[in-house]
Amino acid sequence: MMMILKEGIIGSLKSVYTIAVIVIPLMVILQLAKDYHILNKIAEKFTFITKLFSISKEAIVPLLVGLIFGISYGAGVIIQSSKEGNLTKVDLVLLITFLVTCHAIFEDTLVFVAVGANGYILLGLRLFMAILITYLLSKRLSQKISIQTKE
Amino acid sequence: MLESIKEGIKKGIETTWMLGKIIIPVYLFITILKHTPVLNYIAKVFSPLMGLFKLPGEAAIVLVLGNSLNLYAAIGAIKAIDLTPMEITTLAVMLSFSHSLFMETAVVKQLKVNVIKVILLRVGLAVGVGMVIGQVGAWI
Repeated sequence: MMMILKEGIIGSLKSVYTIAVIVIPLMVILQLAKDYHILNKIAEKFTFITKLFSISKEAIVPLLVGLIFGISYGAGVIIQSSKEGNLTKVDLVLLITFLVTCHAIFEDTLVFVAVGANGYILLGLRLFMAILITYLLSKRLSQKISIQTKE
Repeated sequence: MLESIKEGIKKGIETTWMLGKIIIPVYLFITILKHTPVLNYIAKVFSPLMGLFKLPGEAAIVLVLGNSLNLYAAIGAIKAIDLTPMEITTLAVMLSFSHSLFMETAVVKQLKVNVIKVILLRVGLAVGVGMVIGQVGAWI
């Protein structure tokens, strides 16, 4: 029994250590990015997303925030933006569709890489599926809207 | 600059503390379970289901922990069970689509969207992509 406990305690402490080595520097970088408003600058480079998903320009910052910092931060920014009336209903649906499938990409990917997963497959598949599904949904929604306006 | 770095380190330590509180008990629990017949029993019961993803039956524990609690609980279990890198990748892909369902769904609910659709999308992706990557991985 003592051996099992020892195995468990040493093994679990090792896992926590591997993840701490990744999480602490990552949090410093993310904090710097947030405090220096780097996202607003990056957002300008991502305007092609507005065309791809047919969403408004105001949806880009919430999308990037969720993608990088996680769904709770993303949701906070989305709530704020929609209170200010910057987001349409379609924007909202597409944003959420994208973010529930793909969020906190750095943290989520790196912690799995720390325990032995292939990060390229993981990140690649997740981004690809999120973009594909959001794109298909955006096409379907715009079709629906054009039918409605014709009627 | 210094303030941001300090704040970042503080958040990093807080996260490490939080994940330690989850990983250590989960890891201990699974390690003890490994030395009892229970884990073998669970593995046997779930092996047909997990076979869809080319995963061993024990991996069901990882999926349950990740979806009901969070990714860190799943990671504690991944480390405690012996898995190949390909199996870990399959689990990681499945869990990255669908995890912390109780907590994250509560967050998404505040945005007044259809929660059922959100859960179906996430679990559907996890199962669909998990099957594809499991089969492809085994074939390679």
